Amino acid sequence: MDFPLILNISMFLTLLILSSPILLPLLSKNYQNSPTTIMRTVKTSFMASLIPMILSIYSNMENTTFYWEWKFITNFKIPFSLKMDQYSLMFFPIALFVTWSILQFAVWYMASEPYTTKFSLFLLIFLIAMLILIIANNMFLLFIGWEGVGIMSFLLIGWWHGRAEANTAALQAVLYNRIGDIGLILCMAWLASSMNTWEIQQHSSTNQTPLLPLMGLILAATGKSAQFGLHPWLPAAMEGPTPVSALLHSSTMVVAGIFLLIRTHHMLCNNQIALTTCLCMGALSTLFAATCALTQNDIKKIIAFSTSSQLGLMMVTIGLNLPQLAFLHISTHAFFKAMLFLCSGSIIHSLNGEQDLRKMGGLQKLLPTTTSCLTIGNLALMGTPFLAGFYSKDLIIENLNMSYLNTWALLLTLIATSFTATYSLRMALLVQTNYTRIPSITPINENNPAITNPITRLALGSIMAGLLITSYIPPTKTPPMTMPLATKTTAIIITTLGIILALELSKLTHTLTTPKQNVALNFSNTLGYFNPLMHRLSSTKLLNNGQNIASHLIDLSWYKKMGPEGLATLQLKASKISTTLHTGLIKTYLGSFALSILTIILFTQN
Amino acid sequence: MMAGALRGVLCPRAAAGLRAARVAVAAPPGARAASEMSKDMLPGPYPRTPEERAAAAKKYNMRVEDYQPYPDDGFGYGDYPMLPNKSQHERDPWYQWDQPDVRHNWGEPMHWHFDMYIRNRVDTSPTVVPWHTMRKHFLIFLSTMLIMFAVGEIYPSYRPVGPKQYPFNDLYLEKGGDPNKEPPVVVHYEI
Repeated sequence: MDFPLILNISMFLTLLILSSPILLPLLSKNYQNSPTTIMRTVKTSFMASLIPMILSIYSNMENTTFYWEWKFITNFKIPFSLKMDQYSLMFFPIALFVTWSILQFAVWYMASEPYTTKFSLFLLIFLIAMLILIIANNMFLLFIGWEGVGIMSFLLIGWWHGRAEANTAALQAVLYNRIGDIGLILCMAWLASSMNTWEIQQHSSTNQTPLLPLMGLILAATGKSAQFGLHPWLPAAMEGPTPVSALLHSSTMVVAGIFLLIRTHHMLCNNQIALTTCLCMGALSTLFAATCALTQNDIKKIIAFSTSSQLGLMMVTIGLNLPQLAFLHISTHAFFKAMLFLCSGSIIHSLNGEQDLRKMGGLQKLLPTTTSCLTIGNLALMGTPFLAGFYSKDLIIENLNMSYLNTWALLLTLIATSFTATYSLRMALLVQTNYTRIPSITPINENNPAITNPITRLALGSIMAGLLITSYIPPTKTPPMTMPLATKTTAIIITTLGIILALELSKLTHTLTTPKQNVALNFSNTLGYFNPLMHRLSSTKLLNNGQNIASHLIDLSWYKKMGPEGLATLQLKASKISTTLHTGLIKTYLGSFALSILTIILFTQN
Repeated sequence: MMAGALRGVLCPRAAAGLRAARVAVAAPPGARAASEMSKDMLPGPYPRTPEERAAAAKKYNMRVEDYQPYPDDGFGYGDYPMLPNKSQHERDPWYQWDQPDVRHNWGEPMHWHFDMYIRNRVDTSPTVVPWHTMRKHFLIFLSTMLIMFAVGEIYPSYRPVGPKQYPFNDLYLEKGGDPNKEPPVVVHYEI
């Protein structure tokens, strides 16, 4: 069987089916899109993408194809090459499965919106850009996908553009991503100048890659994947509709940064400084995000910080030089995180737009399917044995414990893992259990299959995905097989500790009075004070100075100081200095005679 | 009507047009086009006398007590009022503003840096925690993390390892031992 041909044809078919809602209205006058047709297109595309995945698992074969080469200059050609390896062939069905479920959910969630077709089309364009990014073997094509997902993120976060907070959040996303793009362009420039190609070659050289392009790549991943330092846009992006949060800011777009590092890991693996940077930054991000998630009251913000924390964990895995494990975590994380967002969307719509945890409660009996799937998602997130998250998270913790690495990074990651259990359980307890705090009359229902089918489908994925992926994809690096019992059970022990902490705290909240403000609560609730400090300071200074320089200072300097006033000031200064010498006294002139004679004598000495 | 009578006009339709133009010229007094600002409405030089200050305050639709121009230090502000540096975030979101998106009423004097203080830009609303406390706590957090990362680099975590053990005489010959001498007995265990 001619595997490359079938692989190429089926990938091409997948992408063609996916682009049909965009291309067909251009070709035919009568064709009208609708959210349901777009959802069906993505479903068909998902079925089509299963073929190359199964083929590649069966034949264990990869393929790189290039369709067209842009002969830019004689020395530098840009082939538009597509790499179909285990990463892209595995991610295609996962991304398409998640998008299918989200589009089906969005048919119900956005039903009362005008322009639902435009919304689904935006999601589709985003998906196409993401898939271009995944399948690209060339940095140029990857950059096209990178910018494409950035722009669609802007348009989708600011979907309700009449709302000023949504506009600010969309602007924040674009600016922070732009800062990351500086790093990506730096790396591309270095690649073009030193390797004379933008192809992502897979061989790892024995000599060390210089640090500058790797720092550029890490900066790009920091921006796109919301690591600490460039993280505020991700919680702010929750201003967008819930399907947007589910697709972009949990499963697909935010993993683009990590995916970039996975693709280029052959450059990273021989530079220990870069790996340590990834490790430390990932550890800091995961702990910071988990700390912030502990005291949030908005259900979507908790899940957003959870995403940020898991992205930090993926960065830690990259720092451990385990790209395949990072990809496994990306794949399993997509399922349960998208499901958590869809469950939160169902809860929000059922409570007529209420997003505050303090006004939810007792929903276990009122929304049984949603809350059961919420529980499954939380358990998968915590790394419950043999659900999806276990296969990736437990392996990461084992590898952490068995590696030679920075102790503080190890400690931070373990603490963050226990915090994950704490905030997940806090959310689940406040939403599902105890007396209800919801208003009396709410449109609470799960009658529409457009709600329950996507959520249960993703729940099935959250349970089975880890097992399926690890059964069929063998690891490229030997995992540590033997370790003491304490090391093997570290993940489950710290998760259990986090659960116990959450249960204790929830018992305390039912018996004690409302907590007063203290230092730790303020720090955690206001996201470490990062947002006001950075945003207010930098934007005030930049805008103020920009305005002053552009309007006042240029006029002041060029029209006044460089011209008439400046000349007059200089003249005045010169005349003032020379006036002090013209005193009219004889002794001044005698003094100047003496000084000149002394100078001449001194200078003409041998 | 005298104004309606036109002499020497050939076409009655053109007469009707000219009549309409004549009527339009006699517009009510005080009306002006919305696009042009007259010279007295534009900002002017720095007010030096109290009369000039009063005139400037009236021009900007402010009370004379509230009116405070920018200091005359050559930066070219003229008589534009120096309003407090408060952003639109601090204005009441529930009040029925004339322009709700910028929270501004018609005729209200705009801040010189109004484009910096809109709701998409700088927010000057008071924070729950004072600024110096925020800065201090954030810097303490950041510096603690960086110091502990440095400590973690100095004392890394790893599995306990020992030197690699080889059987027989522990690679005596390969490690450069003298072939003529008797190799030392190496025992990797304790009884």
